[in-house]
Amino acid sequence: MDSSKNAVFDAVVIGGGIAGLQSALDLAGQGYKTAVVEKDASIGGKMIRLSKVFPTLDCASCITTPKMAAAAHHDNITLYTCCDVQRVEKNAAGVSVSMIQRPRYVDIDKCIGCRKCEYNCPVLVPDAEQGGFSGRKAIRIPFSNAIPQKALLDVEHCMLCGKCADVCPTKAIRYDQKPEPLAIQAKTAILATGYELSSVTGKPQYGNGDIPNVIDSLQMERLLAPHGPYGRVLRPSDGMIPDSIAYVQCAGSRDASMGVPYCSRFCCMYAVKQAMLLSGSLPLADITIYYMDIRAFGKNYEQFYQNAKAMGIEFVKAKVASLDAGQGGAVTVRYEDQTGEGATSRDHDLVVLSMGVLPGFAPGGVCPVGLGPDGFIQSVLPKMSPAVTDMDGVFVAGVAAGPKDIVDTITEAGAAAMEAAKYLTALSGKAPGAANKESAHE
Amino acid sequence: MSHNISDTPVSKEILKALRAERKDWIAGAAALARENKKARKAVMERLAAASATVPEIAEATGLAPDAALWMVASLKKFGEVVEAEKDGSFYRYALAAEAAQAQEA
Ligand SMILES: Cc1cc2nc3c(=O)[nH]c(=O)nc-3n(C[C@H](O)[C@H](O)[C@H](O)COP(=O)(O)OP(=O)(O)OC[C@H]3O[C@@H](n4cnc5c(N)ncnc54)[C@H](O)[C@@H]3O)c2cc1C
Ligand code: SF4
Ligand code: SF4
Repeated sequence: MDSSKNAVFDAVVIGGGIAGLQSALDLAGQGYKTAVVEKDASIGGKMIRLSKVFPTLDCASCITTPKMAAAAHHDNITLYTCCDVQRVEKNAAGVSVSMIQRPRYVDIDKCIGCRKCEYNCPVLVPDAEQGGFSGRKAIRIPFSNAIPQKALLDVEHCMLCGKCADVCPTKAIRYDQKPEPLAIQAKTAILATGYELSSVTGKPQYGNGDIPNVIDSLQMERLLAPHGPYGRVLRPSDGMIPDSIAYVQCAGSRDASMGVPYCSRFCCMYAVKQAMLLSGSLPLADITIYYMDIRAFGKNYEQFYQNAKAMGIEFVKAKVASLDAGQGGAVTVRYEDQTGEGATSRDHDLVVLSMGVLPGFAPGGVCPVGLGPDGFIQSVLPKMSPAVTDMDGVFVAGVAAGPKDIVDTITEAGAAAMEAAKYLTALSGKAPGAANKESAHE
Repeated sequence: MSHNISDTPVSKEILKALRAERKDWIAGAAALARENKKARKAVMERLAAASATVPEIAEATGLAPDAALWMVASLKKFGEVVEAEKDGSFYRYALAAEAAQAQEA
């Protein structure tokens, strides 16, 4: 699973989320040597950070972890984590990717993931992996089901006290590690760079992130997750068990003022899912979803929505105008009720913003792939071959091409792998496994 | 990935050079560690007396309630604090058995 400095592969997949992993596994399963380049310290993308998934309510980790492990242990897959891609370009041999691997300050070959360094480090900083609701150490394993299970030192929060090096049983700490330039040559590439949520700081009417107990939907995923920061859903301002929770739909989508005029597609369904999970874990709580329309577009999704209504979740057809801090940690939601009441307001203990979905990768200056007006990678044959981009031999999968749920992401990842395999076969006219095996690192 | 590394992970010379190079980060991290230590100590002392809710911990320690919860959640992650029984709209938190013994000693 480790990476070497200059390596040759049949295919390179950029982005190790569920789309990238599925494409890589499909290619590797056909015998193609495949590299997966991930910017994070762990593969798994957003899905490994979710609690459960609609419409089946399967545990996200239970589905994602086996795929992550399968990719990490596959003989035909090489993982590159902590990598900043500098350039993706076509050349005579196919596609070249140059990148810089950021230092972990830990020798990845020596680290056994025992977490002794983490337990002994004296510096605690907000853990973004837990929505900022609890602390992590300056050196840590990124999260409990991260792959690889290797420590990572945050040099900007390290006081160089030497404790981690003292306690590390394998002497893996490397305070002086440097960024490492790496280059990959492949015959074909798949871009699977996913998305980021738009920021809660982008909308003054919703408090710019300054109102206590207003959180975003990924933070709520962490509150609901089994290894979440509190181990249950609590109000972040004071640990109170919330009695009343509200969702503000389209908080960052279908809103030209935020630069996201499009629908982010999966927010309606994840809000319905989270509401159902909340009503399971907090049976006495009132749960309200303020929405413009509910887009339950997939197979069994309408039924899922109807089930949520039957569970007592209240759906209020309204556009939320503003949020304000209320009494005792409450959040006041002001809205225009579209079914008759006009402008009105209600207080809730906790408010979740269903933020918009933005492209995870801005290829400008890095990769000359064509983008749509929304900034996502453009599919040039959206109906016939959605994975095909305007770069010959470079394909796209998952949310990198536009917002979509996991079901559609997996389908598209399989399609991208198939396009890449077809491309490889046409190139060589030979069976898979024809890449330069000597230079591809095991 | 065993490149650009020293043979002796914490040789004095390397540490000295790195300390000079990273002095601003080190100063920030050290200030944070001091704050963490103070907050941790205050929370542990309050919990050594008896289990408490987040507002009770906040009142006893002078921490803001969100900061008290943040510290409790962090201590829980590292096994020093456990969730105890429900108390109205809150949960109580207590020292984990081992942490309680260490605090007594
Ligand atoms: C709150 C919330 C709840 C959700 N719940 C559900 C649900 O219940 N069911 C469902 O079907 N869908 C759900 N979704 C949608 C789901 O998250 C996506 O469908 C899925 O994660 C898309 O996978 P992906 O691999 O395309 O993108 P991602 O998961 O974003 O993965 C992309 C990967 O690429 C990496 N990357 C990005 N840029 C680069 C770069 N330049 N170089 C290298 N690596 C890079 C990223 O670090 C990441 O690991 C939810 C989304 C949210 C926000
Ligand atoms: S050297 Fe840095 S990472 Fe290691 S224990 Fe000290 S502060 Fe933490
Ligand atoms: S103590 Fe050493 S071996 Fe253990 S997780 Fe930390 S770096 Fe890895």
